[in-house]
Order: sequence, then structure tokens, then C-alpha cells
Amino acid sequence: MKVKQHIKAVAVATALAASATVASAQDKEPIRFGLCFDLSKSYTFISPQVAQAAQDLAMYTNENGGIEGHPVEVIIRDHGNEPQRGVECYEQLKREGVFLFNFLSTPVTNAVLPRAMKDGNVLMQSFVGRGDAVDGEVFEWVFPVGPTYWQQAANDVAFIKGQMGGDLSKAKIGFIYLDYPFGQEPIEILKTLSEKEGFELELYPVPLPGSDQAGAWSKIRRDKPDYVISWLLAGGHVVASKEMRRNRFPIDRYLSVNWLNEVDIANIGAQEAKGILRGTNVAGGQEVPIVKTMLDTYYANGKGSGPESLVRDVYYNTGMAIYSAGFEAARIAITENGWPITPESMKNAYESIENFDGNGIMAPVTVTDKDHGGGGKTRVEQWNGETWVPLTDWSADYLDVVWDVIKHSSATFTVE
Amino acid sequence: MFYRLSGVHHANYVSDSRIFKVPADRNLTAFIFLIGLAAPFIIPSLYLNSYMLPWLIWTAAALGLNLVTGWAGQLHLGYAAVMAVGAYSSIHAARFGVPWEFALIIGGLTSSVIGSLFAFAALRVKGLYLALTTLAMQFVMDWVLTHSPAISGGSHASLQSPTLALLGQEITTDTGFYYVAFGWCVLVTIFMLNLKRTGLGRALVAVREKDFAAAILGVNSFYYKILAFATSSFIAGVSGALLVATFFFLAAPEQFSVAVSIQVLAMVIVGGLGSIIGSYFGVALILLVPGIVNGLVVTLSDGLGTQIDVETLAHIPNAVYGALIVIILLIEPLGLGKLYGNIRDYLMVWPFDQFKK
Repeated sequence: MKVKQHIKAVAVATALAASATVASAQDKEPIRFGLCFDLSKSYTFISPQVAQAAQDLAMYTNENGGIEGHPVEVIIRDHGNEPQRGVECYEQLKREGVFLFNFLSTPVTNAVLPRAMKDGNVLMQSFVGRGDAVDGEVFEWVFPVGPTYWQQAANDVAFIKGQMGGDLSKAKIGFIYLDYPFGQEPIEILKTLSEKEGFELELYPVPLPGSDQAGAWSKIRRDKPDYVISWLLAGGHVVASKEMRRNRFPIDRYLSVNWLNEVDIANIGAQEAKGILRGTNVAGGQEVPIVKTMLDTYYANGKGSGPESLVRDVYYNTGMAIYSAGFEAARIAITENGWPITPESMKNAYESIENFDGNGIMAPVTVTDKDHGGGGKTRVEQWNGETWVPLTDWSADYLDVVWDVIKHSSATFTVE
Repeated sequence: MFYRLSGVHHANYVSDSRIFKVPADRNLTAFIFLIGLAAPFIIPSLYLNSYMLPWLIWTAAALGLNLVTGWAGQLHLGYAAVMAVGAYSSIHAARFGVPWEFALIIGGLTSSVIGSLFAFAALRVKGLYLALTTLAMQFVMDWVLTHSPAISGGSHASLQSPTLALLGQEITTDTGFYYVAFGWCVLVTIFMLNLKRTGLGRALVAVREKDFAAAILGVNSFYYKILAFATSSFIAGVSGALLVATFFFLAAPEQFSVAVSIQVLAMVIVGGLGSIIGSYFGVALILLVPGIVNGLVVTLSDGLGTQIDVETLAHIPNAVYGALIVIILLIEPLGLGKLYGNIRDYLMVWPFDQFKK
């Protein structure tokens, strides 16, 4: 495994070096990525980091010969999380010749999805939008590379099973979630798994925006679950940590969804948060090669695309993961089908990404024409007071159960 | 000079109750109507489908809210919820196989029933209390949508709309969608223009000015309030359904959230309460200006070659937009419609009114 990764890293480096000598990237036509993000309303806790990662990665790629000699252009626009403005952004960039889109907002992605499906433009929607979009047979143009929330929840259960010695029949698992579609999504999977594995499932809904959790946690104190899986966001984790302290619930039994970052940790207190768990498909921390490269090459000289504080944030790594996969797809598209890249060649390229982990930034993904998610592997990381320490290796479990749900849900979608 | 009048003088009731009391107004309206008809041929498709179309549908919706808030004087903070009822019931009806013409009417009627049922309870209180009760309606509807997968369309809450078909014609092109939106907006506008001239309209205004004074005059204020809610809910329902059928193509709860309710109310207030042309202006300002200013700021910063980070760049348009609303309301508290009215009145007998001073 380790050797394989080294070989891959060397191969990537030589490929970049080779293409750099062939031609300078600037005199060729660019590959354009449209990023219509919410930079001013609800998603500002993540979008600046992702946008900055995309800009940095594009800058680095361009300075090293581009993708097969073609420079990358990253176009960033704000849509303020308003579906109407997202559509406007899509329609405008579409006319400028962009066919690779990312909206990074569930409402906006939902609003644009029917158009992208009809027009045949590639929609990158890792972590947002409808989960069943990983079904490549139905959602041909949508690429949510990464795990669905269903898969994340299933992997969390598998992790707990591992921690409890492979037997869940006497276990009790709590699920605390924001009481709207984001938080409700995993319930179905958890119920199915609870029947299958025989553990007891307790649900603790929390009203939006997650600042009032007192009732849920005093119930948790009475129920004494072995683990609590948490589908909360940003400030919700901070409130949960206070309630955990008040109710004497050990923080190392709190397993969060991937939305838990350094800002939340700082708000909880780096030492207080020691032991908190997070299921994720993106490697956290600054020791990841590509993040280290960015810090050394740009931020050490003050040349980064934004403030350095945003780099020291796991959502920056998330952005790196999304765009490493995107750039890799563009590279495959050019090597396989040549220039110009078309939506079709990009789609085919995405579907032939095999065992790609962006040099250690994320779980290895293998995207196929059936599975646009790339396998849904995640791992559990623990905060040790300073950084994230992986507790398990990348894995995806209960795939049959998860795919049953995906197929059941995607069957209701038809392209009009 | 522009209006070729020396003032508006009515000699009889028929002339007083005309829709257009000034011929120039009628000509201007006809001219704009023709531009609207020809829009698909003269306006680039980007502006047609991502500016004009949502603008027209939201204008129709805002006119509906203007009926209940501007004409009948009842503050309504749950308008998006009523739109959601119409949108979801129409789409479910259409998915069930009901032809779209009827599905739209079903959506309108369901909205109307639920809107007025709620008003029946809510109208026992007035003013700010009524506003809060309508806000409660919004929250109830949000809760229902996020907790009933059967209505909202599965665990990820997005309900796909079948292809719109009217009069046996499947509508799939931008031009087609535009004409549907245009047609609906024109219909609602004609209804509102005529409302002013009817007994119903006058009763509503009487209720707005002082409901017990209206009662003394023999106007059953409770009945007219309910009627205003029912009518405006019908318009909201059909507008909501058309918004999904021609623009979003799938319905999601966020499209009808409390933020949207407040936005529609802002459209009506910035446009001018009780002003039809004001609703057009208000919707344009609230709905389209953020996007346009955003585009301008991005172009400007690209042109100047400035190195502003993306987050700041996204917040500048918001600041400009906020300032714009404040400035407009400072200049003319009665809204953009009144601003237009002022200019029109000034030019009405221009230049001869200058002599009076």
C-alpha cells in the first residue's frame, strides 16, 4: 500500500515535470471550472476555504505546465445561496463555454440539477445535493465524488461495531441530528442497520439552527448510549460539547459527520475537544503532501490566494480533494480523447478514475458509470489536541444496504 | 408636451372609472406589452430565461401579496408558505396525471382554501399580531414540508415537476416558458388594474383605512379580509406552481422558506403598497439587482485588475444593494411606484405648470 502510493506520487511528479518541459501552459486554451458558490450567506463556513483551495491548486497546476499543457481557469461567482441567482450564474457561465460546474449549496444544486441534466453539463456536487445522485445510471451528469450521508452513517456504524469487538447486539447508538432534510437523511439507513445488527437506536432531533440541545442531551444522559453519531453543523458542535460536559457524556464517544472543522474545534477549545471523533473521506491536517506543498510554495512567501488561516482548516483539504479529482478527470479526458475537452469526454474521464487518492488527500476513489461516488470510503479521525489522527483505514461497509436505499430513491427521478 | 394634457378633469363617472385616465398611459402600456410579446426575439436568451422569466413570475406573486397587504392592509409574513401549497399540490396533481391546466387551478384552489382557512383563525387579531400569526403559518408549513417525505418527495426533499403542457402543447423551450410566465403576469395585472374600479376594490380600501369605519358604512370587513386572503392565496398558489414548472423544474422546501416570505414582502414595500407598477419595480430591485450588481462589481474588479479576495468581492454587492434600498426608501418612503408617479405627475403638464410658481 505504502510503496504503491510512493510510486504513484513519483509518477504524478514526473508527469507534471514532463508536461512542464513540453510547452508553457499559458499559450493554450484553458480548461474552465465554474464555481458558483455561496460566499455571502449560509455556506460561508466552508465555501471560502474550498474556493481558495481550487485557486491554489489551479495556480500550482498552471505554474507546473498545466493539465497536459492546458492552463486551468477557475471562475468564482457568488450566488448568496439563492436558487434564482444560482440558475442565473449557471446560465451565464454556460454561455461563456463553461461545462464543469460546482454550486456547493444544496438548495442551489437542487435548482440547477434539472438544467444540467437536460443540457448535459458536468455537475460536481461532492457533499451537497441529493444523495441518490451517486447512481450514475440515472444521474449521468452528476458527480458527487465522495461518500453520501447514507454511506457515511453506515461506515460510522461499522466503526462502532469494530470498537465494540464486532458485536452490536447489546449496543445502544444515539443519533443526534438537525431536524430538517440534511439531518434526517441517515435515519432510514440507521433503522435498517439497527434491525440487521440488532443494536438499539435512539433518535434525538434538534431544532434548527442547533443552538438549543438541552432537552436532547438530558435524554441522552438517561438513555446512556454507547456512542452518539452527530449530524450537526458548525455551532451545533460547540453547543453539543457544552451539553456533553454538563451531562457527563464522554466526548470521545461523539462521532461527528464530516462537517466539523478547526474553527469548531477552536470554539470548543482545542484541549476540551481532545478525543472528539469525525467520520470523513478527506485526510485532515497540514501534513498531507499537497497541502504542505501549498504552504511551502505559496504561503511561506505570502503568495497564496487568500489568508493562511483558511489553509489550516480541513475544509481547505476538502476543496483540494474535490478539485484534485476534477483536475485528474480533466487530465484523463485529454489523454484519452484529446483536446478539446467536451462534456462527454469529461464524463467518460470521470468514470474512468481508478483508485485515485490525490496523493493522500482523500480516500481512494474508483468512479464507474454505475457509481459516481467512487466507492464511498471514509475513515474515522480523532482530535488529539493538536491535529487529526486517523483511527482506521479507508473503508466502505454495508454497501448492499446503502445501494438499496440509493436505487429506491433514484428510481423516482426521470429526465424530462 | 409628453402627455399633451392640461390636467385630468372628469366630467362624468364613466370617464372617472376608466383604467387609463390619461391616453399617454394607455399608449405606454400598449408599447410595453408589445415589447413583452416581442421579447424572445429581441432579448438574448440569457436575459430572457434567467432575468425576465423569474421577474414576471415573481411580479405576479408580488401583486397577489400587494392585494392583501397593499389593498386590504393586512400584513402577511407567510406568503411563501401559501406559494408552497400551490406548488406542491399542482405538481402532485400533475404527477398523478391531471392535465396541467387543471393542476394549476387545483394548486390555486388548494392555496386559496388553506390560505383563507388560516386567515379565518388569524384574522381575529390585527396588525402586528396578525403578522406574527401569519409567520406561524410559515413555520407550520416549513415543518410539514421537512417532515413529510410523501409531500416533499423523498428523504432528500426534492420533488420533480413533470414537463409543463398547456392546451395539448408540451412546453420545453425558453421562449415557451417565457410566454407562460408573461401570460400569467399579464392576467394578474389586468385583474389588479380592474380591481381598483370595482366595488370589491373600494371595499378593500375602506377596510384598509379603518375596518370599523368600513363596518359602519355597511362593509363586512371580516368577509372582505377573508376574500382578500383567498384571492391573494390563489394568485400565490398558481405563481408558486408556475415558478417550479417553468423555472426550477423541481420543488424544494428552501424555495419557499421564511426568507422568501420576507423577500416578497420587501418587494411589495420597496415597490410601493397598493401600486401595480411599483410591484414590477420592487421585484426588479429585490430579485434582480443583487445579481446585476454582483456582475458589475466582478467586471469592474477584473477590469481594474485588483486583487480582492473572493469573499470581500461577494460582500461588496450586498453592501451596495442594502444601501440602494435605504436610499430609495429615504428619497421616497412610498416606494418606487410613487417615485415613478412623481416623475409622471411632474411631466404631466410640463412645461406649463412652471408658470404657476
